[in-house]
Amino acid sequence: MNIPIIILIFLPFIGSVFTFIVGKIYKKSAFICAYIISIILFSLTVYICISFTQALSFDLEWFSFGNITLPFGIYIDELSLVMLLIATGLGALDIHFSHDYMADERDQARYYSKVLFFIGGMILLVSAKEMLGLFVGWEFMGLASYLLISFWHQNSSPADAGVSAFLYTKFGDIFLFASLGIIFYTTGTLDMIKLNELSSSGEINSQVAYVVSIFIFIAAIGKSGQFPLFPWLMRAMEGPTTVSALIHGATMVNSGIYIVARMFDFYVAAEALVVVAAVASLSAFIGATSALVQNEMKKVLAYSTMSHLSLAFIGLGAGSLAAGMTHLINHAIFKALLFLGAGAVILSAHHVKDLWRLGGLKNRLILVSIFMGMGVLSLSGIPIFSGFYSKDAIIASTLLNPETHGLISTLTIIAALLSIAYAGRLWTLIFVGKPRDEELHVSIKAPSKFWISLPLGVMATLTLALGVFQKELAEFITAEKYHELHVNGLFTFMMGVILVLGLIIYYFYVRRTDLRDKISAQPLMKSIHQILFNGYYIEMMINWFAKSIIVNAVAKSINWVEKNIVDAFINGVVTVTHLSFTFLKHTHSAKVSNQSGAMMLGLMMIVATVLIRSFL
Amino acid sequence: MSYLSLIFAPIILSIFIYFFTKQTNNAKYIALALFTFMLYMSINIYMHLPETGYLLLSSFLHVEAFDFNLVLQVDRLSVIMLILTSVLLILVGLSSWSIEKQSAYFSLLIFFCGAIFGVFMSTNLMWFFIFWELTLIPMYFLIGIWGAEGRIYAAVKFFLYTHVASMLILLSFFLIYKQSGTFDMTLIKSGVLTTPALIWWLLFIGFSVKMPLFPFHTWLPDAHVQAPAPISVLLAGVLLKMGAYAMIRMLILILPLQAQKYAWAILLLGLISLLYAGFMALYETHLKKMVAYSSISHMGLVAIGISTLSYDGLSAGVYEMIGHAFIISPLFLIAGFLHHKTGSWQMRDMGGIMQRVPYISAIFVLAGLGALGLPGTMGFIGELSILLSAIGKYGVWLIVILLGSMLSAAYLIWTFRRVIYGEMSEVVKITDFKMPKAEFLSLIIFSIFIILFGIYPQALFDIINQAFSAYATSGGAL
Repeated sequence: MNIPIIILIFLPFIGSVFTFIVGKIYKKSAFICAYIISIILFSLTVYICISFTQALSFDLEWFSFGNITLPFGIYIDELSLVMLLIATGLGALDIHFSHDYMADERDQARYYSKVLFFIGGMILLVSAKEMLGLFVGWEFMGLASYLLISFWHQNSSPADAGVSAFLYTKFGDIFLFASLGIIFYTTGTLDMIKLNELSSSGEINSQVAYVVSIFIFIAAIGKSGQFPLFPWLMRAMEGPTTVSALIHGATMVNSGIYIVARMFDFYVAAEALVVVAAVASLSAFIGATSALVQNEMKKVLAYSTMSHLSLAFIGLGAGSLAAGMTHLINHAIFKALLFLGAGAVILSAHHVKDLWRLGGLKNRLILVSIFMGMGVLSLSGIPIFSGFYSKDAIIASTLLNPETHGLISTLTIIAALLSIAYAGRLWTLIFVGKPRDEELHVSIKAPSKFWISLPLGVMATLTLALGVFQKELAEFITAEKYHELHVNGLFTFMMGVILVLGLIIYYFYVRRTDLRDKISAQPLMKSIHQILFNGYYIEMMINWFAKSIIVNAVAKSINWVEKNIVDAFINGVVTVTHLSFTFLKHTHSAKVSNQSGAMMLGLMMIVATVLIRSFL
Repeated sequence: MSYLSLIFAPIILSIFIYFFTKQTNNAKYIALALFTFMLYMSINIYMHLPETGYLLLSSFLHVEAFDFNLVLQVDRLSVIMLILTSVLLILVGLSSWSIEKQSAYFSLLIFFCGAIFGVFMSTNLMWFFIFWELTLIPMYFLIGIWGAEGRIYAAVKFFLYTHVASMLILLSFFLIYKQSGTFDMTLIKSGVLTTPALIWWLLFIGFSVKMPLFPFHTWLPDAHVQAPAPISVLLAGVLLKMGAYAMIRMLILILPLQAQKYAWAILLLGLISLLYAGFMALYETHLKKMVAYSSISHMGLVAIGISTLSYDGLSAGVYEMIGHAFIISPLFLIAGFLHHKTGSWQMRDMGGIMQRVPYISAIFVLAGLGALGLPGTMGFIGELSILLSAIGKYGVWLIVILLGSMLSAAYLIWTFRRVIYGEMSEVVKITDFKMPKAEFLSLIIFSIFIILFGIYPQALFDIINQAFSAYATSGGAL
């Protein structure tokens, strides 16, 4: 096994502990330590990428119990490499950005060590050969996400957000755990490459394969914030923005898509892709419509993350691995850019996240506004930016596939077009128009060029560059010739839509805000707004189910059974015994506690004697 | 003879230690030294074990007419229990560093140590039973004297409950003797027994109380709540393991045919315990009771592993037993610590503990994550290995394991939210949290074990697998 990979896997965890200890001794050193480690990780990935000729595969054993041996192999192919580049590259940029963003934080050691732990989990996930290793990385990331969301644990709402993040994703995880068991029992292997081959050759029972792929997809739903397990993703915005950028925008939420992509042949053979596409198209629609009306800029981004991850799922579901994965990568970059851009705004605006208090920041945050603008263009799917090409390919593949042609493709197109609207609205509300909060506006200063604007610039450049190299990227990931899918005339159509939507947004949000207010005051518009704003009340429904059904009905009645039946029976026995001792108790003046033990012993001896007599 | 002193020296010495250390208050040093010595001796015995089968340590009290021979024989399974017990005793000793009335407390612990070694070392059923009962006496006093407000009720309930169960065990031991003519468990052949089914069921109920499995578990939450925190560790880590150990030893290894026939009962109670206790813990607002129910829930998992009667399942079950001991102990210790400092058991009175004692809270979170089966901790390995070993046999039934996993995540994460995170409550603000160094040390050692064996479980499985390799080769008909 070669050295760079060993370092790549172990360094983040060792580094996480080291960073914590060093950071506790001297506060500033936590950043330096984490920064160096993240750069080492990124350089190692680049090194592996450059020297990459064929898939690296190592078989290792973790443990064996009884007759069962559980492997823990490493497998790095093109797909993993791209994910590794994303995880370590964006991780390094994120830590770079954190220098200023987390500068006022007291507990830096804890923050940086958790971020490194998270990167380690992601590396483990994407370089695992078996589902077991993948599950370990999966759960590590879940833990890191939980700990980082509730990073400001002294406040109630981040702590609550952490709870919901953990439990929503855990609900998915148990399905992954179950599928791990089913797969291991039916095939005797957890090797995902082998599973793909086995199912392609039809050696796995098709029903089992179907159930397993649905189970894995449920886990992916939880992790990637799809319908109906998405509310945690919106809550997760309570965490530091750098965390939202890295974990809830760019890397961890991708892992659900990664696992479907990794087992793509398995899904094809199990004929479960259409389920993926169907659920994802619904999520894409929900996410895109809800993003339209959010007041907090991070929530807009969170809903758009949900919607864009759905697009990647739809790409996979429509049968195009390349479309789904390229979109995933494009999205990771422009979403990280947008989140960090939002972070820059939040930092400059003294932690104001409400869109209605910002506005007109263009002149004050010129660099940030340009870079975020590029991110918005990419997200909206404007040609020459990377987002356009992958969305184009996804829409084309849904139209071409007879199974997804129809409702799914329609929802996809709507979601893709709506992204222009909400991204445009976000950018407009932050950067143009009149400042809505004068006092705040005056106090805003441009952030540091090196620590804040540089990472944004890097990502903005990347999102432009990736637009040029879309084909190469797709070919690299799938390791085969890529036939570009295009929708005829989408280019001109998109341009037209952008023009129209751009004018509408400009008109309603900048020119005639009074007209907008009048329209939104209509009762019908108001109730639609409420539904969208609350994410179709899905969180409320799930919480109601958990609270009223699970806790207050099932758990409460079991509690009643315990008190009034199971324990009462035993207490009854005790009472009877106690009564029979009452007589003896009167003969002794000492306390029961001192005497009952001895009495028990005596009783036992009598019974024992009787028993011995009767049996011998 | 020398090994005999491993049992009787502590039992007899404990009385002297009580009187000698009454003034000087240094019983804890003696106890710790003794437990360390016991650990050393257990490892020593492990080194001398043959590949398979028993190692005869000593034989004593030979009476022709009546099989009352105190035979000390150990195999790998019992040595695993010996090592686990002595490690836990050391940690319990450390975590009771600042307890009141030390000489009495530690001499009772030493007494307990001797008795529990007797349980795991003797193969004569009579002596097994005697030691089994002897463990109750120190336990009864440890709960009854050092316990919380309702300690008398809890101690009596604990004592009575386990006693009634012991009666059943004793009854079946006599049946065994009457039918096979020997008390030596290594010589008993299930074929000779005329009423093996009756014996099996009696033993099953008796051991289920100890383990405890639903519906025989109600003594446990009370005993745990009232017991001082280190004694809770002893209860969960050692006393419950006696039940599981005896179940493996007698129900499965001695009566394999009946086990094959009635293993569904173990499975059923295991599944019910897992879910039932999970729901109980979910609804519980009393911190230590929550931990106690979580403990029952995990013992249900052990029962599921054992009930497969397979090489894999038994190994997995024993691993989970050890994992449970290390995971649940810090939870009990910290729950006890918080109660001791804040004076409340209710989770609503706590909150924001992390801001006051970050490291102790971190250990609580770590152990909690272990209990909910997060990879990298012992809990995950236990859960995974039990799932994999049982899925072939039980299939869809294992949905219960998954539900249990979800429930444990729910109640533990929600407990973190209520106790560890969030804003500080009024009580927490004014409380002075100061933990004695020795207690903190024991918490650190527990967490090291949780992570170490969670990342490198092979270290444990090497020992455990060997314990059942003979069982595996004989195809379950030992």
